[in-house]
Amino acid sequence: MTSDSVEIEEVRSFLEQVEPFASLPPDQLRQAARAIDIMYFRRDTFVTHAGDDNQYLSLIRSGSVELRLGGTELHARLGERDCFGYPSLIRRGPAQNEAIAFEDCLLYRLPAEMFHLLWEGHEQFRHFFDTDQASRLHRAVASMRREVAKNDGDESFGVHIPLKSIASRRELVFCTPELAIGDAARLMAERDVSVLPVMKGDDLVGILTDKDLRRRVLAVGLDGATPVEQVMTPDPITLAETETVLSALLAMTSHHIHHMPVVNAGGRICGIVSSSDVLAQLGSNTFHLAREVEGARAMGSLVDATAHLPRAVAGLVEAGVDAEPIARYVSSIGELAHRRILKLMEQELGPPPASYALVCFGSLARHELSLGSDQDNGFIFGDDFVRESHDEYFAELGRRLAEGLDQAGYKFCPGNIMASNPDYRRTASEWAERFRHWIDSPDPQAILESGIFFDMRAVAGEAHLVEQLRRETFEAASENRIFTSFVARAAAVTAVPLGFFRNFLLKEDAVEGKVLDLKAQAITPIVDLARTHAIVKALDATSTLERLAAAADAGSLDPEAARDLSACFEFVRDVRFRHQARQIRNGEKPSNKLDPGELSRFDREHLRDAFKLIRAQLDKLRSDYAGGLT
Amino acid sequence: MLGQLFGGPVRKLKRAFERAAKNAPEGPLLDFYHADLPDFDAPISQIDMAAIDLETDGLDAASHAVLEAGIADMDTCAIHASSARRIRFRPDAALNPGAVVVHRITDDAVAAAKPLEEALAGVLAACAGKVLVAHFAEIESAFLDAACKRVYGTGFVAPFICTMQLETRWFPRQFAQDGLRLSKLRGRYGLPPYRAHDGLTDAVACGELLLAQLTHVARKDPPLVEVIRR
Repeated sequence: MTSDSVEIEEVRSFLEQVEPFASLPPDQLRQAARAIDIMYFRRDTFVTHAGDDNQYLSLIRSGSVELRLGGTELHARLGERDCFGYPSLIRRGPAQNEAIAFEDCLLYRLPAEMFHLLWEGHEQFRHFFDTDQASRLHRAVASMRREVAKNDGDESFGVHIPLKSIASRRELVFCTPELAIGDAARLMAERDVSVLPVMKGDDLVGILTDKDLRRRVLAVGLDGATPVEQVMTPDPITLAETETVLSALLAMTSHHIHHMPVVNAGGRICGIVSSSDVLAQLGSNTFHLAREVEGARAMGSLVDATAHLPRAVAGLVEAGVDAEPIARYVSSIGELAHRRILKLMEQELGPPPASYALVCFGSLARHELSLGSDQDNGFIFGDDFVRESHDEYFAELGRRLAEGLDQAGYKFCPGNIMASNPDYRRTASEWAERFRHWIDSPDPQAILESGIFFDMRAVAGEAHLVEQLRRETFEAASENRIFTSFVARAAAVTAVPLGFFRNFLLKEDAVEGKVLDLKAQAITPIVDLARTHAIVKALDATSTLERLAAAADAGSLDPEAARDLSACFEFVRDVRFRHQARQIRNGEKPSNKLDPGELSRFDREHLRDAFKLIRAQLDKLRSDYAGGLT
Repeated sequence: MLGQLFGGPVRKLKRAFERAAKNAPEGPLLDFYHADLPDFDAPISQIDMAAIDLETDGLDAASHAVLEAGIADMDTCAIHASSARRIRFRPDAALNPGAVVVHRITDDAVAAAKPLEEALAGVLAACAGKVLVAHFAEIESAFLDAACKRVYGTGFVAPFICTMQLETRWFPRQFAQDGLRLSKLRGRYGLPPYRAHDGLTDAVACGELLLAQLTHVARKDPPLVEVIRR
């Protein structure tokens, strides 16, 4: 009977009017029309439950459907001609969203098999889902793209360039499935690669990442002679080199992976693309913002540029970029803004009469700036500084810098830790004296407030002045057991919540709070922990993740605890960035506080784990370094 | 209970089916009867069905001819477009000009059609082992019966579900004069308007109506015997 087989005209003509089908060649459109299953759902019945093995791309022919996005209270209402169900198909995993008929609906449903055929065979078809899946990202990056186009007519927007141009730059190191994992690890270390494609002849049969080595080898104490094929990720997902960076970003985000082999038209592997490659590519647009800050000729254009930062951050968050690179990005923009404003003010006031450095403290020094962070800075003067004749200039410079930073979104420091304050304009020896005072006669209150001074970095000027001060200070501090015990104790007093009960936050004293302060209750405790270890062991590292790793190396922190705390730190900052991105989307000012009711179940459960871990480590810190004083 | 209430029509249908099967000559009609009847007590969700619509050049099965059959397989979940078929019949005489306007089937299209015997064999193969779903099923059953008698000398007996009858049976109310028309009933269930009078579209439209009726009727997944035409 196949000769009589024919597409249903109503189905075909509907597909012809609806993207992504409309852009299919006529033959494929007919093929799609013939594959459709027509189904009817009565109002209030489930089309798809979360966790279902969804086998259809569903197109609404009549009626409407409500999507409840997995684990959230977010609902999306879809009407005639809208389609849904593709994230699970693309992911080849269970549905995460619930789809419920909001009205009686007739659905034209394309079976998974045909969906994948079209997805693989037709760029336009695939692109439709790329862009739809990333529509939120697109809104964010489109504005950047417009700016790029506006400024230099450059259409080669970073995320739309093919992978070929970024994946093939490095040489390809690979191994065979039989290679011993010990040898594979050595090979990776020697060649400085974090991922190794596993090849059987010309065929890619798996990949081995440093994460695999940690999780599947070290964590379980596997013998180094074990062949690679026992721990590799078999049959990895690959991307064609003609795919865009955006596709790689989306694939990585949806599969929660950080490395993807890139293959050429013949299916041969031609490179590896990593999440940091993708970020760097995103960065080249985000660098655009950096370029504007850097090149600002007046405060007005600088303020205009930094005003785009929240949107850029929201875009990165929604693209699934991790918290650490986002924080680095925000920090580098902050640093550029500090430097540029200082330059502009120097131009207004004339050249500085003495050598100096602009030192920043706290989150900017740690490369952990977030949105809405305020400024913490000071000047360190060189030996040629003469207060009587030079300070007038620097007082004015400090005042203008603080004001400029405030305009650019780096608000005045409530604690007045700014170069406009004479207390924070000191010569190198005066600064050293100030620190020595804290260290030699520790006062619990002063220590609570002085923590951020142990995070210091030169942002402009004579960096050696800052570096020398930092080294001397840490040396002096680490040798003073009384001081370190005070620091440990100060860190340990932070009240980390116990967990959640419904929409409330459970605190140590069992009082239930309505607001979770992500900064004070989760981020700062980890920062304090890492700083305490840095002080105790006089570590050079300044950023929290680096300090945790260095503390583990120095034997001050259990390596597993260091890894856990690092993961915690990433997670809580991720929650904060996502929260802030949401606020930005809603036109609110980004803040650190959120209603626990806003959190998804996933986030709550992980936060509860994070709280527990942080509290345990704070307790350990207290017993290790604050002995006898608590 | 069911047996007492519905045993009559089902028993009659089974007897007629068996009698026709005995008299059918070797060939497509006998093959059709060999596919056998479904279990009438089985829940409707377990039944293989085919939505069918015939386009004819008149309403009298004795004097008018089948022009086209549209058929699509379905079950209570879905109508499967992959099974959609359109079988065109080549009429003996030139087309009745009045009917052309209604069906938009032209002499050209008919030229590509098959002779009655071949076309009918195609329809029988598509319907074998299935419960047939039609809107006002009297037309489909009468025209197929007449065609089979003409070609094979034995009539056509098959289980039918009639969506028009179901509507009056399951959702009894006052109907406007044209209130039982397929397009009117579809509107009531939120089904989209389809351009009528293409055999395949009408078959699918009717199949969709059945899906909608089945989700609205109080008893979920009723046994076939409760759904079948009486």
